[in-house]
Amino acid sequence: MSRNKRISLIVKIFFWAGLIIFFSWAFMNDMFLPIYEETGAFFNLMGEHMLLVLISGSLAILTSVPLGIFLTRPRFRKAEFFAVNVANLGQTIPSLAILALAMGFLGIGMKAALVALFAYSLLPILQNTIAGIDSVDEDTKDAARGMGLTNTQILWRIELPNAAYSIIAGVRTALVMNIGTAALAYLIGGGGFGVWIFTGIQLFDNAYLISGAVSVSLLAIAVDYLFRGMQFVLVPKGLRLARQAVS
Amino acid sequence: MRKVSLFIISIVLLLVLSACGGDGNKEITIGSKTFTEHYLLAKMSTLLLEQEGFEVNETSNLGSTALRKALENKQVDLTWDYVGTGLVTYLGEDPMSDPQAAFDKLNDIDQEQHDIVWTNLSELVNTYTLMMREDHAKELGISSLSDLADYVNENPNDLSVATNAEFYNRPDGLPGVEETYGFEFPDANVNEMDTGLTYNALRDEEVDVAMGLSTDGRIEAFGFINLEDDQKFFPAYNATAVMTTETYEAYPEIEEIFEPLSDILTSETMIKLNYLVDIEERSVDEVAREFLVENDLIEE
Repeated sequence: MSRNKRISLIVKIFFWAGLIIFFSWAFMNDMFLPIYEETGAFFNLMGEHMLLVLISGSLAILTSVPLGIFLTRPRFRKAEFFAVNVANLGQTIPSLAILALAMGFLGIGMKAALVALFAYSLLPILQNTIAGIDSVDEDTKDAARGMGLTNTQILWRIELPNAAYSIIAGVRTALVMNIGTAALAYLIGGGGFGVWIFTGIQLFDNAYLISGAVSVSLLAIAVDYLFRGMQFVLVPKGLRLARQAVS
Repeated sequence: MRKVSLFIISIVLLLVLSACGGDGNKEITIGSKTFTEHYLLAKMSTLLLEQEGFEVNETSNLGSTALRKALENKQVDLTWDYVGTGLVTYLGEDPMSDPQAAFDKLNDIDQEQHDIVWTNLSELVNTYTLMMREDHAKELGISSLSDLADYVNENPNDLSVATNAEFYNRPDGLPGVEETYGFEFPDANVNEMDTGLTYNALRDEEVDVAMGLSTDGRIEAFGFINLEDDQKFFPAYNATAVMTTETYEAYPEIEEIFEPLSDILTSETMIKLNYLVDIEERSVDEVAREFLVENDLIEE
């Protein structure tokens, strides 16, 4: 066993041990009580949380991916600087401030939270789309052109499959951050697991706090794995093998 | 090298000097909750104590239970709180409506069990309240919590309510109101949000009923009415100073320093002061200072 492998094994053991200790402590101290005592409320909050993420996330994907493709076309290249900086704004303003700003014109509730989460998710997807398409080998595109493919065909058959890995990585990052940030939606009446987290903070009741926080983490992990699976399906086998060979 | 050591020495000297500067040993940490009235009370306490030579640190923006824990752990030495909150939320006792009796019981239990002393019982009562827009309430013929209960029982899905997470879960909050008056808002009609936003949600007609605090200046300014607590569910929420026994014994003068303040604090006064901060958007510091100067409690 190499030194690196040994270290990673030790880290893994500690990680899993920590996780097991945490969960057994939590179960023994009834920290998950709210989940089975108020199952109805739990599913309600989960529904709200997932709805927040689903709508704001899909809108962000539907905006950022086409925009990224558009910005990598030679003719519109010049707009890239502008667009990326606008998306940057959405990311650099603290999420709480975006929430408050959105509330100013959309009122209290889910709508304002959706706008804030949408703005927050744009940048990672946009940047990864642009970077993914940019990283496609020029020689490959030349060869395709030589075979008589049109620009549209090159986009669909060469550029997008090659960029898929990077684009989905961007989506994963954006969604995982989105799920965490959606916990703040409570503050403006947007619902979601944030309700339990803030109940826990305000009442100093760790059971609510942990039930809410663990649910958010599990949701984020689940979504991350879902998109990893999608990455596996969408990225062509040849590219996957090439990536493995390099690493 | 010499420059570096000189620099270090001067830093150390500076730290030592600042540690024993002033009346260094009269230091106190004041905590406050997350709403205007508490900022004002904390600021007034700071100004009064500073006048008497205390060095005051302020820790604001704590949720009430977090503030209570901080007090128990001695991270905060002194704060203001409400008799009802202490009795029901912190100690889990039954609500009492007589302020003096509640105050005495609170002191008996808290001094013995948690080393915490309640002093300076004032006439300022800041109770939870359920509010509605005046015109809307009139239209539906609701003026008390009993009316509300009747209306909700007849039209269970008609009214939506805004509350913060604390009120929604506290036994002396919404669950207690619903139990006493015999009604229940369906879960889907409850919007939980940050404390101060409930007023805006009600004003903007996004909800029909909202929780508030009875001394908030916005109630009048936004044209709301407080629904009358006709079955006297809410316990006595008189404001008092609270401190650790350690602080109380080390600085017995604090109770006397606060006395002229607690003597003149009333709900009406507080509504006015809250109004100045929340609606006229003046700073907490300015309003607190002005009030104390007007009443000759501090010099300008």
